[in-house]
Amino acid sequence: MSEINTPSQTVGPFFHYGLKWEPGEHLFPDAKTPGRRIVLTGTITDGQGAPVPDAFLELWQPDGSGRFGAPVPGSCAGWGRVFTDNDGRYTANTVLPGALGKQAPHILVVLFARGLLRQLITRVYFDGEAANAGDAVLASTGARAATLLARPEGAERYV
Amino acid sequence: MTSALRKPAPGTHPNLLHPAYASTVARAPTQSLLALPQGPGELSGPRFDASVLYKSHDDLTRQCAGEPLGERIILSGRVLDDNGDPMPNTLLEVWQCNSAGRYHHHRDQHDAPLDPNFTGNGRVLTDAEGRYTITTIKPGAYPWRNHPNAWRPAHIHFSLFGTSMLQRLITQMYFPGDPLLGYDPIFNSVPSEKARERSIARFDWNLTKPEWALGYEFNFVLRGSEATPAN
Ligand SMILES: [Fe+2]
Repeated sequence: MSEINTPSQTVGPFFHYGLKWEPGEHLFPDAKTPGRRIVLTGTITDGQGAPVPDAFLELWQPDGSGRFGAPVPGSCAGWGRVFTDNDGRYTANTVLPGALGKQAPHILVVLFARGLLRQLITRVYFDGEAANAGDAVLASTGARAATLLARPEGAERYV
Repeated sequence: MTSALRKPAPGTHPNLLHPAYASTVARAPTQSLLALPQGPGELSGPRFDASVLYKSHDDLTRQCAGEPLGERIILSGRVLDDNGDPMPNTLLEVWQCNSAGRYHHHRDQHDAPLDPNFTGNGRVLTDAEGRYTITTIKPGAYPWRNHPNAWRPAHIHFSLFGTSMLQRLITQMYFPGDPLLGYDPIFNSVPSEKARERSIARFDWNLTKPEWALGYEFNFVLRGSEATPAN
């Protein structure tokens, strides 16, 4: 018999000071982290296409060798939190994640916002990665797979 | 990495489209959600330790030069998974408005005074038994523009991590007997009455400190492992 879970509620509009985090936009502050350094940036829009200025994302990923932060307290490398600006834009500094077995390299992304009564979870994959062709999630999402792909913009920016 | 997590009972979490809460109409996704597998990323997550705590991180009445106005309260409880097992060393982030119903936030336009002695944010890690305790003041109700004469019941915002990204929870804790609960579209967005009751604290004489503060107990239940623990 399992207990009833605590229900989710919206993060509301006034979360910024309660959830501020430094260095939230740097997932791997350690310069020796294996992997190619990248900047991931984009815009959060609502269901009607308008930018969302009061949202934030949490990102979680392994380093370039496919290794997650060790499961012990104090290891939050690979985790980040970025807030959208007035135009709904966010920017995170990280490394290109390593592949996980048969799964193509991707970043887990959790979205919170005013007006969202519970979080949305998705994955960001990287356009042009050879492993994308064999990834079960990309295959199962059909025509919507393209919405999960970040596209290279110059050498190290993905949008 | 933990093993696969159980799906919460139907009605535990709000639907994303809940028109009584007007902002959901534009912000709920227009396309159906697709299920993701519970992979190694979903079933792991960051682990925080005391290095993320700051001065008076668990006592919101002592973060400024003087004491904030309002009714001092002690809030304590445990973080459990839905198998009833305690979740030690898990991070809680807390934020709230002051006793007049105003947030220390540049976008809050409510015509109520700011309190120079109250910011209203805190962090705490659960102990080995999953227990946490914070000291704060009781937040006030505040108006919002969702519908005519709309008021939010007094509430405290909480963010919890658990041990994996799929246990991540952001919620609001309410106070028992608040007459505004019945009118609040956010509280009532939770379909199940039992789940709504989960988000109301319990007044607790044992936590109350004579001549000092009223005590409330509030427990959190995060998703637990599907595999029934052997016992
Ligand atoms: Fe609030």
